[in-house]
Parts: sequence; C-alpha cells; structure tokens
Amino acid sequence: MFAITPNTLSNFLNSISRYIIFLTIILLVVSGVLIILLENDYYQGISFKIMFIHVPAAWLSLLLFSIMGVSSIIGLVFKSPTSFTISRAMSPIGFIMSIIVLITGSIWGNLTWGTYWVWDARLTSMLILSFIYLGHILLLYSFDHFQKADFAASILAIIGLVNLPIVKFSVDWWTTLHQGSSILKIGGPSVTTDYFITLLISFFSLFLLCIYWFSNIFYIIIENRKIERSKLLE
Amino acid sequence: MRIIKLNNQIKKRFIFLLVIFVCFSSSIVLISYSLKDQIAYFVSPSDLQQMQNIDNKYLRVGGLVKKGSLKFDKNIWKFEVIDEFNQTVEVEFSKTLPNLVEENKGIIVEGVMNKENIFIAEIVLAKHDENYMPQSAIDKMRNDGIWRGN
Repeated sequence: MFAITPNTLSNFLNSISRYIIFLTIILLVVSGVLIILLENDYYQGISFKIMFIHVPAAWLSLLLFSIMGVSSIIGLVFKSPTSFTISRAMSPIGFIMSIIVLITGSIWGNLTWGTYWVWDARLTSMLILSFIYLGHILLLYSFDHFQKADFAASILAIIGLVNLPIVKFSVDWWTTLHQGSSILKIGGPSVTTDYFITLLISFFSLFLLCIYWFSNIFYIIIENRKIERSKLLE
Repeated sequence: MRIIKLNNQIKKRFIFLLVIFVCFSSSIVLISYSLKDQIAYFVSPSDLQQMQNIDNKYLRVGGLVKKGSLKFDKNIWKFEVIDEFNQTVEVEFSKTLPNLVEENKGIIVEGVMNKENIFIAEIVLAKHDENYMPQSAIDKMRNDGIWRGN
C-alpha cells in the first residue's frame, strides 16, 4: 500500500471510473423501481420511503468518516501522501452525505414525530459529525501549503473518530426521540425482507456513486497539483 | 510487497497520535457519563415516581399510550402514558395531536406536573419504533395469530 503513489492511484481510479458509473446507473434505476413498487408501511404510509435515502446516506457518512480517520492515521504515522489525498478527496462527499441525512431526517421527523428538529443525542451527534466534516474541509483550504493543511486536517479527523461510536450507539446509551437501529442490531433486522433487500440495493448504489465521485475528485486534485508544479518550474 | 520496518520515528509518531486519541476520547467519555441525565431526552413514568420536587419543573416523559385511555372531551385530549413496568402517568393536552399518535404506540410529552398529579403537556411528539412492515405482512401475522398490536 505504501508503494502506491497518488499518481498511480489516480490513473487507476480514472481507468475504472467509467465501469463504476455504468454499474451505479443500473443499480440506481433498479433501486428506484423497487422503491416505487414497494408496499407502504402500515403505520406511516408513504413517508417511510424517505428511509431508502436517509439510512444509506447515514451509513455512508459514518463509513466515509471512518475511512478518512484510518487513512489520516496511516498518513501521519507513515508520512504517506496517498493516504492524505484519500482523506482530502473524501471529506466533501461525507459532508454532502451528512447534510442529506439531516435534511431527509427532518422532513421525515416532521411527518412522523410532529417536529423538524429536537436536541436529542442522535440528532445532535449527527449535527456535530457534519460540523466536523465542514471543519475538515475548511482546514484543508486554509493553508498556503497543502502539506501543512493535510497535517492539521488529519489531526481533526483522528479526533473526530471519537464521535462515530457516539452517533451509532447514542440510541442505545441514552433515551432519544430517534428510534433504535432497524438493521444493524442484535437479533437481526426488524424490517420485512423486501424492505431489507431494497435498502441494501439503494445502499450499494449510493456507495458506488460515492466511489465514482471520489475517483473524480481524486483525479482533479492530482491534475491540479501537476499544473501547479509545472507553473513553478517555468 | 516491501516489508516495512517499524523504526523509531514511526513508533514515536504512532504513540503521539495514540496519546492524543486516548486523552480526547476519555475526556468525551467522562463528560458524557457525568451529563447522563441531561443527555437523556425523556424519563419513563417509573423514573418520574422516584424523582423528588417535580412540581412546576419542565420535564419530558416517554412511553406508550395506554390502550383504551385516549379520549377527547371539552377540547382537551386525555390519555395515559405507560411504560414496561406498567407505571402510568395521566396526561392532558389542549392542542392538536400529531398524526401518528395512536393507542399502544410510542409518545413523548413535554410539560409540567400539576398538584393533582396530572401532567399538563405543552408539546406532544409521536415516537416511532424501529419496526417497519407493510399491511400485507400484518394481515398474514393476524391470520397466524402472532400479531399483538391493535
């Protein structure tokens, strides 16, 4: 892994990105059709279909942050520029995902609970997660030299790792308005099989979309650096 | 693949990061442990009975709406909130209830306890549980005799 330079990874991602977007579009269409065909929940009616964007986005915002944190640790310990660039390319995607979670969640909350926002443990820790993402992005662009920015932002990403178990387990540790986990919990999922399969397909389609987006951002960062370097040499 | 030797520099950097992480996470754990009661969004009716000096204190109580207790008379909603230990609290609410408040479903009420031990709610929120299923699955469970809702 440490032998991979940012350049080789960028070329590799660029070469496979067209296949990824092909697969993504197929899966997005399949999940969209499945979501439309699904029978409504007996109690919430049609508003439960927000779940198929809310839950995958929530999983992804946690998953992307954990990848960012681990690659920041590897980057700081082994001085690996590839790891730094991975976490640099990942944070805007994770930020968008956490914003999607907050917006879809508050729409669903208004339809179901009767309020857009409350300050319970799950909602507040999710808001903090999106603020950490935003802080990470701002740190990355507030230094003249990108290596200094990478160092500062990596420290923030490592500290932000503490928030991940709080987001995940807040519904078990404290009493919250937000319901407990339906899928990733002891005793198996508490949704019917057709909902579960649709949720998995919509998760994978959104996941592949994030990978495609990530490979584009990664490529752009590397190409920008090449241009800047060639300007300096002139 | 190249084998990486852990030299002193790398070890030092790793320990530095570990110390940062451990310090920060232990401080978060201590803070959230000592603020446990403030972080909790609501208390159950059985918690409420053990609490002292709750007159005119703004509280949130959560549980299920007791079956057969939801009534509407003289422009006031009256119902009882019940928890898993069968402790109940009588609640009165004079505004519009959220759509998804039903008997035997989760609810959170915000307000104060009055002298007659009736909870006067200012805000009522419906708490949804983690179970999602279509009507056909419920009909099937009803036929099999394993459905316990209303």
